[in-house]
Amino acid sequence: MLRYIHRFEDFALVGALITMLAIALMQIVLRNFFDSGVLWAETFSRVLVLWLAMLGAMVATREANHINIDVLSRYLSAIPLKIIRVSTSLASAAICGIASYYCYEFVQYEYEDATIAFAKVPNWICQAIIPFGFGVMSLRFIIHCFKFIRS
Amino acid sequence: MSSIGSFIVAIFALLGTPLFVVILAAGMLGFYFTDIPLSVIAIEIYRLIDTPLLLALPLFTFAGYLLAESKLSTRLVRLTQVFLGWMPGGLAVVSFVTCAFFTAFTGASGVTIVAVGALLYPALVEAGYKDKFSLGLVTTSGSLGLLLAPSLPLILYGVIVQQMDIPNPFTIQELFLAGILPALLMIVLLTFYSLWSNRDAEIVKGKFSKADAISAIKDARWEIPMPFIVLGGIYSGFFAVSEAAAVTAFYVLLVEVVIHREVPLRTLPSVIRDAMIMVGGILLILGVSLAFTNFLIDAEIPQLLFEWISIYVNDKITFLILLNIILLILGALLDIFSALVIMIPLIVPVALRFGIDPVHLGIIFLANMQIGYFTPPIGMNLFIASYRFNRSITELYRATIPFMLVLLFALMIITYVPSVSLFFLDR
Repeated sequence: MLRYIHRFEDFALVGALITMLAIALMQIVLRNFFDSGVLWAETFSRVLVLWLAMLGAMVATREANHINIDVLSRYLSAIPLKIIRVSTSLASAAICGIASYYCYEFVQYEYEDATIAFAKVPNWICQAIIPFGFGVMSLRFIIHCFKFIRS
Repeated sequence: MSSIGSFIVAIFALLGTPLFVVILAAGMLGFYFTDIPLSVIAIEIYRLIDTPLLLALPLFTFAGYLLAESKLSTRLVRLTQVFLGWMPGGLAVVSFVTCAFFTAFTGASGVTIVAVGALLYPALVEAGYKDKFSLGLVTTSGSLGLLLAPSLPLILYGVIVQQMDIPNPFTIQELFLAGILPALLMIVLLTFYSLWSNRDAEIVKGKFSKADAISAIKDARWEIPMPFIVLGGIYSGFFAVSEAAAVTAFYVLLVEVVIHREVPLRTLPSVIRDAMIMVGGILLILGVSLAFTNFLIDAEIPQLLFEWISIYVNDKITFLILLNIILLILGALLDIFSALVIMIPLIVPVALRFGIDPVHLGIIFLANMQIGYFTPPIGMNLFIASYRFNRSITELYRATIPFMLVLLFALMIITYVPSVSLFFLDR
């Protein structure tokens, strides 16, 4: 089951880039050769940047591949390192959890307002990835935490 | 209370907590203590979609990852060797030029050392360059080219500063132009050093042959137009930066996957995935730092910082010296993207008050970061080279120090002579 979720996540991430590339190329062709363009394409591809950011970060969390200040790992022995890893994972889970909660609150307001981002797509759908992403990352940090404890 | 909070966040940063979490936590603390509802975080992150320029980031990164995966490095070395190899110190020049080009397209992620340096190092030793010199050269060259378009850190600097609403804004095109002469200056100075350092060594020089030249050009005929597409398209105004990124990505895809077939179609998704994990991480850091920056500005931190600095420093030159020292240390401690995201919102407003041009500041910033990549004890490229060439890290410290001194000299010229950066600009 988990494998399929990961597969789907990777697929969405790769798909977001390909869609972004395709839209940009389409716009260039339309503008230069047909003197036209799709009105919502610009906004849509910018929303894709946000989705790419969240999806990429979700996968990066899964693989513990985030940018960090990596000063200590080269100098510390296994046990203090383990304690540090567990506590930073826990802290990360907490921060992402709080962020997810408050971002969800915001998306709920937007849902009630029902403003439109582009075409017929409402803003809240575009924003929904933010609380969702933070939520998933929070869970993953907890999973990491258990992995570190057991290792 | 808030200072205890900041202290805890700083400790967690040093313990290796993901940087986006650290910045997010700092922003949350700030909002909490100023009674701003935390749901504002979502609004700030959603501001990522206000910047059309950001589209260029994933697209250029994708192109870079694809190029790194192909055999471009071999073709590039061959091409430059044919045309520059006959000069005195030719192979050294070849190394500088190839690495600079490669880094500009792939971002200084260490891939230059692995892909290009690994080819050049044995070639340099074989041609008669001293081992220590060759090792230092390839390690140093791993971040050369950071100042050249379309390097990711250069774009990121532009993106972050554009968000800040400064009184004398600039375009990405201007930033791209500004990097050219400083990068050239570095290459020229490094070349002089190479000649001087190897004045006693017996160096085998390459010969220029027409047949070789033609075959090398033929070999790289698909990649030669690339800089022209990117730079020509952007500077002529034919493409917006994000469009140039899309065209480059598409072109590279076509060349490496369809024409050269060096990246099989079935590995393409994993190449894209790896590239997007990196971009996603950077974009999220950027997103949360938008929230944090806003808090900083609301709390007038840059203003306070300026007032505090002006007690001790009251002229531009002293400020610049201080700036260089701080940035060099940061460049060695932090990776470049974190350093950009954290330091720009603090430094740019202060530097502007000292009368420094934001474009010039960007070049200073990145030149420092470039040197930070191989500054002992923990410059990232030192470790990559140590791993790749199987040498001890102390050996690499010794090998890179002369190059570092040369580049520090270049950095001083770049810092104290603004016209090197602003020569092509009307500022």
